[in-house]
Amino acid sequence: MILPPDSPFQPKPSNSTSQLRAHSASWLSSRRGIAQRLLVLILFFSSVITLIATAVQLYIDYSQEISVIEHRLDDIESSYMGSLSASLWNMDIDQLTLQMLGMKGLPDIQAVEIYENNELIETPLQLTAGSRRDEAIISRHLPIFRTAGNEKRQLGTLYIEASLEKVYQRLTNKALVILFSQGIKTFLVSLFILLVFYWLVTRHLMSIAQFFSTVDLRHRYKYFALQRSAQSNDDELSTVVSAFNDMCFKLQDTYSELQSVNVELEKDIEARHRAERKVKQLNDKLEQRVSWRTAELEAANKELAAFCYSVSHDLRAPVRRIQGFKRILEEEYASQFDASGRHYLARIEVGTKEMSDMIDSFLRLSRSTSAELSIETVDLSLLAKGVERRIREKDADRIVNVEIKDTMPVEGDKRLLEVVLVNLIENAWKYTQRRTNAEIKVGSSQINNETVYYVEDNGAGFDMTLAVNLFTPFQRFHKAEEFDGTGIGLATVQRIVSRHGGRIWADATVDRGAIFYFTLWERGRV
Amino acid sequence: MTQQTILLVEDNVDDVELARHGFKHMGVDCHIEVASDGELALDYLHGETSDKPALVLLDINLPGMSGFEVLKRVRENETTRRIPVIILSSSDEASDITRGYNLGANSYLCKSVELFEFRKILENLGLYWLETNISAPH
Repeated sequence: MILPPDSPFQPKPSNSTSQLRAHSASWLSSRRGIAQRLLVLILFFSSVITLIATAVQLYIDYSQEISVIEHRLDDIESSYMGSLSASLWNMDIDQLTLQMLGMKGLPDIQAVEIYENNELIETPLQLTAGSRRDEAIISRHLPIFRTAGNEKRQLGTLYIEASLEKVYQRLTNKALVILFSQGIKTFLVSLFILLVFYWLVTRHLMSIAQFFSTVDLRHRYKYFALQRSAQSNDDELSTVVSAFNDMCFKLQDTYSELQSVNVELEKDIEARHRAERKVKQLNDKLEQRVSWRTAELEAANKELAAFCYSVSHDLRAPVRRIQGFKRILEEEYASQFDASGRHYLARIEVGTKEMSDMIDSFLRLSRSTSAELSIETVDLSLLAKGVERRIREKDADRIVNVEIKDTMPVEGDKRLLEVVLVNLIENAWKYTQRRTNAEIKVGSSQINNETVYYVEDNGAGFDMTLAVNLFTPFQRFHKAEEFDGTGIGLATVQRIVSRHGGRIWADATVDRGAIFYFTLWERGRV
Repeated sequence: MTQQTILLVEDNVDDVELARHGFKHMGVDCHIEVASDGELALDYLHGETSDKPALVLLDINLPGMSGFEVLKRVRENETTRRIPVIILSSSDEASDITRGYNLGANSYLCKSVELFEFRKILENLGLYWLETNISAPH
């Protein structure tokens, strides 16, 4: 379900006002609120400015007051000095005292003293009014002159002292007042700023946070709007809010898409599961069929084996009889035969021998097909050496160099593997009949990551183009007189190798020799 | 010494002839009695004549009753229990050989293709069972 971007506007707040208040309460107590930081900074800055302004102001006032006092002293100097000089010349102490008191009465003057010049007089006059202090004063020592004609003579000194105490006092009061009032003002302004900030920004931020923290995109998204007048809809907060709204709509769309994709996926998975179940069903049926077929095949095999067996035995008997009577004939009537007669007898001999050998091979072939494999670890080397020994015993005259690899352990039926080696080695033995330096090699090597066993000879070899039927029973490559052989041997060998899960193949060159390769358990033991 | 009798139980006439030929060469004086099937053999063996053969050569491959069955009956019968029975067979299957011995045969011979070999066997046979061996009194 994908909502259109301009879905119906629903300006309902997503949270009640009480919740808002609760949030603002918690906000006020939080330590890291924006308003808090703003407040601190404003206070700090404001205080600094205030202090500087106040300092400047006070300094100006101070200078002013000082200059007032200085002026006053200047006035005193200009106005009183003349009369003072006259009084002093006249030694009119009353007048002097009056004048001094008059001076002292002036604002801020706290001590006046007159000293007569003591050069020529033993006891100089000293008049004081008021009391001296040493601190917070401005003082002047004014010389009192008497001008007579061209002469100007200093009669004495006027010491006048103005107190700055009042100035200081006034300044201190001023400072206090300013600071206090500035403080109040700053506090009030800050409070105001705090409240305004809260009103304008913070509460909206909280409502935004509140709303968006509870947004659940699984349900249809409701447009969010701030609780305030529509006029203030162009500022940063509204930008943020509309950005959030957009984001939520987009997320909702994405979520809906994901949902639908999910549904599709689930359908897919369900379909796949169904397919898997189907496959398993088919597999099971197949396996069952296979096991039936295997059972059938085994039964058929057994029947065939029994058939072959009885046939072979039945065939043997007549052959035996023919042979027997021929022998008797030879023995008892040989003298009566001429060369032709003896020749015919010989041909009978050959024929019956061939027949007999064929039956034996056939019997062996059928045995190799049907007999159950009794698998054990067999050393092909030992088997091969045994075969070599027996062949040498039967054919001791021949000189053949036989090389057998040291050890070749395999898994298989010992009897049947022996048949394989007997066949292959006897073949090699036969086919190297004509060689003076006959060589037979039995070994194994790694070709393409699998172990391949071989029996190699340097005998007569054969034409590979005729090798299509190499392993078919009763095919032979050389004229019967050249080499013995019933032609069944290789078929038997192939049957045995194949029952051991392997392959057999040959590589030969006419007059150079032949190699027979075979493998075992190509696809692992079954 | 009276002439000893060998009972040959064999159905094939050619095989009988070859056997006779073999015995001829044996050089032992004996009479060959031939039974062509199991029934006749048992009749002869369990018949009234007190003369039992000194040796029985038994072919397994018989029409009707099999050679093994004959052997079994011979061994069951008190009068013929101790007569030496030698199985003559064209089979060299281990199962047949075992069965023969299990049923009480004294020896097992394979009728080989080679006549001279067969003759040699029969010669040794005769020399042993008829000349050297002392049969149990019946």
